[in-house]
Amino acid sequence: MRIAFAGNPNSGKTTMYNALTGRNEKIGNWGGVTVGSKEFQLKKEFAGDKEVIAVDLPGAYSMSPFTPEEGITSEYVRTANPDAIVNIVDATNLSRSLFFTTQLLELGIPVVVALNKTDINEKEGTKIDVNKLSAKLNCPVFETVSTENKGLAEMIAKAISLAGTTQKAPYLQADIDLHDKNAVDAEDRKRYSFVNGIVSEVETRKTLSAETTSADKLDGVLTNPIAGILIFAVVMWGVFWISQTWLGPLVADWLVGWIETFQGWVAGQLENSPAILSALLADGIVGGVGAVVGFLPLVMVMYFLIALLEDCGYMARVSAVMDPIFKRVGLSGKSVIPVVIGTGCGIPAIMACRTIRDERERRATSMLTTFIPCGAKIPVIALFAGAFFNGAGWVSTLSYFLGLVLIFLGALLIKGITGYKYRKSFFIMELPKWKKPSLKFAFKSMMERAKAYIIKAATIILICNTVVQIMQTFDWHFQVVEEGAENTSILASIASPFAILLIPLGFGVWQLAAAAITGFIAKENVVGTLAVVYALTSFIDTEELAMTGGANTVAATMGLTSVTALAYLFFNLYTPPCFAAIGAMNSEMKSRGWLWGAIGLQLGTGYTIAFLINQFGTLFTEGHFAAGFVPGLIAEACMVAALILIARKVRAHFDEQYALHKSANAAKATA
Amino acid sequence: MELAYAMDKTAAGTGSKEGSYDAAAGRMTLLDAEPGQTYIIREINTDDDEMNSFLFRLGCYQGEPITLISKKKQSCIVVIKDGRYNLDKMLSEAIII
Repeated sequence: MRIAFAGNPNSGKTTMYNALTGRNEKIGNWGGVTVGSKEFQLKKEFAGDKEVIAVDLPGAYSMSPFTPEEGITSEYVRTANPDAIVNIVDATNLSRSLFFTTQLLELGIPVVVALNKTDINEKEGTKIDVNKLSAKLNCPVFETVSTENKGLAEMIAKAISLAGTTQKAPYLQADIDLHDKNAVDAEDRKRYSFVNGIVSEVETRKTLSAETTSADKLDGVLTNPIAGILIFAVVMWGVFWISQTWLGPLVADWLVGWIETFQGWVAGQLENSPAILSALLADGIVGGVGAVVGFLPLVMVMYFLIALLEDCGYMARVSAVMDPIFKRVGLSGKSVIPVVIGTGCGIPAIMACRTIRDERERRATSMLTTFIPCGAKIPVIALFAGAFFNGAGWVSTLSYFLGLVLIFLGALLIKGITGYKYRKSFFIMELPKWKKPSLKFAFKSMMERAKAYIIKAATIILICNTVVQIMQTFDWHFQVVEEGAENTSILASIASPFAILLIPLGFGVWQLAAAAITGFIAKENVVGTLAVVYALTSFIDTEELAMTGGANTVAATMGLTSVTALAYLFFNLYTPPCFAAIGAMNSEMKSRGWLWGAIGLQLGTGYTIAFLINQFGTLFTEGHFAAGFVPGLIAEACMVAALILIARKVRAHFDEQYALHKSANAAKATA
Repeated sequence: MELAYAMDKTAAGTGSKEGSYDAAAGRMTLLDAEPGQTYIIREINTDDDEMNSFLFRLGCYQGEPITLISKKKQSCIVVIKDGRYNLDKMLSEAIII
């Protein structure tokens, strides 16, 4: 049996779904968090001995879709024939929600209405006569609070018992010609007046929603173009500072101590085994994976703070205040949400682009959003900040800031290439009611992501590290590489050709090239691979590194200056994200051209940034350009030429379309 | 009564404010509205059918009340039915009250 969860955006569908199934899907206090359908079995305590599948759908205002994710919902309830529908209605906005409810009731599938967020109504003194509403709609209505599991058991039991039955719809659309816009409009108006009639009979409000409240004053400040953006900058800086400079490293230091003890213990256990086995297990697996896991606290603190931000309702305000700026570069305020989500992980960020209505804006956002360093890049940033810049907080701040700048520049570039077509781009964003963020939900979300991180470290990263370790231990004849002849290893011979390309960037050695390449599988691999190829582990423990000798061991081993280290860091941050994110991009863009454009743009950006930092940084610190300036310049010139060619082609195509359109119009005019 | 207020504003505000006041048509958009006041929507004109019907489904259509909460250069916050929304300038201009 399948029960679909449908309702307006931000009515609490996913929170309810999580409570009923025990899942941990992403929730947040703004419309459009869920962008795809998800299904899972109901918990035993709710389903009894029946097998009931709950289907969580993206929010929709009606059966006629406006944005791509709304389409998923109307398509599902129309074609997938669920056995029952739970219609989640935001009790604080009954008059809007019931429009969709009456449409759902027409489908011939039994509907149960869950009047959600009734706790807020209680606080505000709004009363809804549930019995009367139920009689008017001719369907069961239950008061629920999904954040507190209130009323859920009764509601879902009713839905299960109704499956397969029929309900008489309280309102049926007249048989009209659906192509006649005026007739459809008139019908929708009638439906709304039917809804308004019900609402006026069942709802009594103590506070009118049109009254200006203290929350409105806060919104006024947060959406102020100057104060609002400053506040956003401070909030994000606070998130990065707490997670990456203060609390995160504090916990990480402690964790790294444990990992090292464990590594020592493993090495001790393997004392009598062959050296290769010991190297593989102790250095390769425990060392490499440990280096990645050591950064977990930074990532966890970050996820926790972002979850708090998402839960309180701030995201919608950020999106509103950033809209004018983003519009100027050809994106929209809705592009901000993927960017903020992208600080956690690029994949949900790319998927969040689905709420953007305009296709070009949507594709451009999914192409650019991964310039913001994600959770997997945090270890890379922390490693370089710790090893080369004495743990300086400005490295991570600069990484995010530069990411944002690149998004703007990239958006301008895309605007230029696609030939900006003046098109009305409207922005409307619901400002949800403020809510005290739930520590419990934030904690759960953090643990969920931590679990995913550890699983990733124990699978993909473990395998990659093992492969890297083996490839560097053996040469092509499967002989163990002798000391001093490291360049003959399989890894070195594969990575060396790539390393040549990196000479103008200041890090043309095979070890660094290999780490950058494994980074495309998962960005944490950069750290893991560096740990393996240089046999280093205690990356984050800067204190200890300082003790082992005046100059930093890590820095000394890698042979990078602070300029080339920064270039290498930024190269890894701004080149294409991991393959999984590229896959997500592919499915959101639905266009080969755009996908290759995205990969090309990201490669070009990473290369250019690293090139500029290395060459000009070296010029500044040493008074001359670094090695490979001219070849690098040639590479840059090739990229610019490619850009111009693509722009020409795209524009010619665009003009062609436009010309056709014009001639069609002319033909119409003469006819 | 609210409608009457809107009409008054139209008559009084001729040319005094920059914005989208359209003297010839005698129209007033959300941009000319006063914060804290409720108006009746007279017309939605976004030149975009899908946008119009989206607004409709939020309860933003001809004959319905709309309240302006606050107004900025590039955007404004309104109450439609029981929800608060942030609208950009272009959309505010398309709502005739």
